[in-house]
Amino acid sequence: MAGKSHISEYLSDDENLEESNVETEATNLEFPKKFQFCFGVGFETDTGRSATDWLKSAQTLLQTPKKKIEKSLKTPEDSAKKRKLLRGGLAERLNRLQNRKRSAVNFWRHQRTSHYETLSGGKLGVLIVKILEMHEECTLCIAICHQLGQICADGSITKEIVEIQPRLKVLFAKETIAHLEAVPQDIIYIHPPWQKLFLQNENIPVILNTYFSQKVILKESTDISTDMDRPHLQEPLLAKRNVSLAWIFNLSDIKDNWSSTPAVNQVSCSSMKTSKNTENCFNIEPNVLVTSLSDSLLDVVEVQGTAEGTAIQVQVVIQRVYYLVAEDGFKCHPHGNNPPQNMAPLSKSDLQNLRLCLLVQDIYGIFSEIQLPVLFSSSQVTEQYSKKWEGKYCHISGLKILRRVTRGRTLGLFSLIDSLWPPLSPLQVPGKRQGNEMQVIANQLPPSFCYILAAHPDYIDADEKEQISNLYFPPAVHSLKEIYKMGDLPQRCSFWAYVVYRRLQGIVSTSPDWRQFWLFVTDFSLQRESEFSSGTPKTLPVSVASSCVIDVEVMDALKSPSPCVVFFKDAMCGNGKIICIERTVLLLQKPLLCTAAGSDITELTGPVKLDDLDSTTQINSICTVRGTVVGLNERTAFSWPTCNRCGNEKVEQHPQDKGLLYCSHCCEAITSPVFKMHLEVYLNCQSQPKSTVKVKLLQKSISSLLESSSMDDGSYEVTSVLRKEVGFLNCYVQSVTSHPSSCIGLEEIVLPDA
Amino acid sequence: MKRQVLACKCPCSGGPGILELSEIIRCSPASHPCAPRRGLSAHLPLLSRLRFVFGTSVVPALDLVDRQSVTRFVSPSGRTVYQVVGSSGKLYTCYASCHFCSCPAFTFSVLRKGDNLVCKHLLAIYLSRATGACQEQSVSNQQLTALLLPEEK
Repeated sequence: MAGKSHISEYLSDDENLEESNVETEATNLEFPKKFQFCFGVGFETDTGRSATDWLKSAQTLLQTPKKKIEKSLKTPEDSAKKRKLLRGGLAERLNRLQNRKRSAVNFWRHQRTSHYETLSGGKLGVLIVKILEMHEECTLCIAICHQLGQICADGSITKEIVEIQPRLKVLFAKETIAHLEAVPQDIIYIHPPWQKLFLQNENIPVILNTYFSQKVILKESTDISTDMDRPHLQEPLLAKRNVSLAWIFNLSDIKDNWSSTPAVNQVSCSSMKTSKNTENCFNIEPNVLVTSLSDSLLDVVEVQGTAEGTAIQVQVVIQRVYYLVAEDGFKCHPHGNNPPQNMAPLSKSDLQNLRLCLLVQDIYGIFSEIQLPVLFSSSQVTEQYSKKWEGKYCHISGLKILRRVTRGRTLGLFSLIDSLWPPLSPLQVPGKRQGNEMQVIANQLPPSFCYILAAHPDYIDADEKEQISNLYFPPAVHSLKEIYKMGDLPQRCSFWAYVVYRRLQGIVSTSPDWRQFWLFVTDFSLQRESEFSSGTPKTLPVSVASSCVIDVEVMDALKSPSPCVVFFKDAMCGNGKIICIERTVLLLQKPLLCTAAGSDITELTGPVKLDDLDSTTQINSICTVRGTVVGLNERTAFSWPTCNRCGNEKVEQHPQDKGLLYCSHCCEAITSPVFKMHLEVYLNCQSQPKSTVKVKLLQKSISSLLESSSMDDGSYEVTSVLRKEVGFLNCYVQSVTSHPSSCIGLEEIVLPDA
Repeated sequence: MKRQVLACKCPCSGGPGILELSEIIRCSPASHPCAPRRGLSAHLPLLSRLRFVFGTSVVPALDLVDRQSVTRFVSPSGRTVYQVVGSSGKLYTCYASCHFCSCPAFTFSVLRKGDNLVCKHLLAIYLSRATGACQEQSVSNQQLTALLLPEEK
C-alpha cells in the first residue's frame, strides 16, 4: 500500500486520449487492452433475490434514474470526444509508432526487472549519467546530469568523458522517472536510441528520447554518496516548475527574475487551492520531502501517479463510515488472524473481502469513497469508527485511485451522495478565495462522478477531539410514518425502530446465495392509537440485502428473543418500502448529531400491536388473526416425542427395554417424554369471510387448543377441535393466493416480550 | 526561419531551469531545416522526438495538420492571424505572434495548470507551417478586424 503506487483500472488522461484516437485500428495488436474504464462494475448488482412480489416492486426503488447532465460538476475527461484519425496521416503514423514504442519499453523493462542486475557487458552507445538535480516542467522531468561515460564500440568507457564529466540536460518522461524512482545522485544508464540536441546559445547539450533508462545501484564502496546523503523517499518528489505566463505571452524582462531565484523555491502553487495560509501549505526545503496540503480532491486525483502525488495531503470531511464488500481484485487478506466465526449474515469467505470505507467530501463539494484495508472484526465495529471519524476534518495522504464511477451505474453510492446534498454549509467555488466570496451553488446538482480511492489508515490524520465540521451532513432521522408516506423517489433515510420480528431463516441456511432476510419494525408513530384508522400499517417490513454488512454485535441483538431497538442509518426508502443495501449501517446506539425532531426514539406505551388480517393484508407481512377452527390439515398433523431433559428430538428405542425411549444425548431412558406437535388449522375469520385461512400453529397454541379434547389413548378427536375459537394469534403471512380460490397461508410467530 | 516558425521571440537562456523546454521547441522537428516540404513522414525519429517533448498533444495536433485545418489569414496591413478548425468543428482563433489560442484547453492546461506549453491548435499551427500544410488566405483589413474582434452575441 505504502509502496510504489500502482493504479489499476485507472486511466490517465494521456492514455485515454490515445485510446480514443486509435479506435479504428483493429490491427493494432500492441495496444494495451487492459486500459479500459470500468465504471462501477458489479458494485450495485446485488439487490437480493426477488423471491416475492414485494421485492419485485421494491426493486423499482433501485432503478437507474434518468440522466441529468446539465449543470452538474464534470471532470475534464467527461468532455473528451472520440475522433478517428485520418487514415495514412502523420497522426496515425505517429500513433502507431508510439504504441510500438510503448510495447518495446514495457518488454525491455520486463527483461530488466531488477535494478540490482548488473549491466550485461558494455553495450554500444549506452550513456552513463549521474543526476545532479532535477525538476518537473510541463510534461517532462528535466535532470541536470554529469555524464560519467559512454560505452564505446569496444566495450570500454570513453576516458576523456570520465575525466571531464561534462554536464548534460537529460529530459525524462514523467512516467520514466516514476518507474526509475530516480532521485538526485542516482546513476542512470540510458540505452539507445537516445538523441542529443545542441541548442542555440546554450552550451549544455540536451538528451531526448530516454525511454530506455535503467537505474544502477552501485556498491557502497564506490564514490557515490552514501545513503545518509540522499533523502529516504519511496518515490521521487520533484519540484514542479511552472512556465510563467509572462514567458508564454512573450513579455520581456522576466528572464532575470527567473534565473536568479533558486530553483527549488519555484514550486508552483497554482494547482493547489489552499489559500488561507499559503505559507504553511508547503514545507519547502532543499532535498526535503515536499508535502503540500490541498483542499481539493480533484487536485489530488490530478497529480496522482505523478511525482507530486505521494506528497500531497488533502483535507476532507468524513461524512460516513461503513463496511463494504470489496470487489474482486481488491481482496484483503488477514495477516495470520482467523476471521471471527459466527459472522452471519455474511459467509466466512466474504469477511476477507470487507473493506472499511469512508465517504469524504472536500470544501468544493466533491465526494470520494476511500477504501481502507481494515479487516472486519468483532472488536472494531463500525460504531467505533463512526465515533472516531465521522463528521471530523481529516488529512489524508498517500491516496491511490482505484477507479472513477459515474451516477448511472453505481446507484447505491450516488443515492448516499444525493442524501448529503445540498450541503448544509456554503461550498467554496474553485478558483475563488475564501472570505466574502464564499457562496453556495444553490441550484447546482450533486456531482455526477466520484473517485474511489484507496488509502492506508496510518495516513489518515483525524483529530478525534476536534469539533464536528459544519460541512458534516448528519443522517436525517425520520419517523416510520414519514417514511411510509414518502414518494416514489427512492432516497436514503435514517430511522429508529423496534424490531418486532425477524425472519432470519435465510441465515441458518448454508447456501451463500440465500442471505437476504427480513425485519419487521415499528415505532411510536405507527403504534399511536390515533393513527390506527388512517391506513398506515402498524409495522413495516425491512429487507436486508446480502450486500448490507452488519456488525456481529447488532446481529446478535437481532437474533436474541428480547426486544431490540436498532438505528437504521442510510437505508433506501421510497414508496413505503425500506431496503438495507450496501452502505446502510445498522447501529444499536445513537449516532452523533442526528438532526430532526425524531432523533430520539419515543418509547412505546404498550405492547406492540399488529394489523388485523383483512383484505388488504399482503404477503410477507405480519398480522393478528382471530377465528373459529373449521378444519384441520390431517396430512401434516403429527406429533413426536422429545427428551424431557435436554429437548433432543431424535429419540431412539431403548436398546434393552423395548417399551421405553432412549435419549442418546443424555444416555438415559426417557421416562416421561414431551410430545411436540405440528398442526395446521383452517380458520373462518370474520374479517376475511370469503378466504380460506390456514395457520401453522406454534406449540403453545396447539396445546391450548387440544387441552379439552384429549382422549384416553393419547389421540385427539377432530370434531372436538372444530368450531373452537382461536386468537388473537400473531402471524407471518407466508402466502396469499386469489386463484382459484382465495387462500391465505399464515405461520404463527412470537413477538418479543415488551 | 527558426524564429519565424516558432513565431515567438525567446530570450536566450541563462542557467538551468525554465527555458529548456522552450529551447526544445525551437529545435524540434517542426523547425528542423530539412523538415519543410519533404514532409515529416520521412523522419520517424523526428516524429518520435516530437512525441517525447510535447506528449499527448502531438497526435491530435498532427491530425489537425493531416486534415489541413490550419488557415493563416493575412491582411494588407501586414497583420496575420490563424484559425484552426478544432476536432469538433469549432473554429479557434490563434495569435501566433503572442502565443495564444481561444480554446478551453489552452485556458485550462496552459494558463491555469501550466502543465503544457501549447494546446494542440497552437502546435498544429507550428507543425503546419513546418510541413507546408498551412492554408494561406488574404483578407481585407476589415475582415481581419472582424476575425480579431468577433461581434459579441
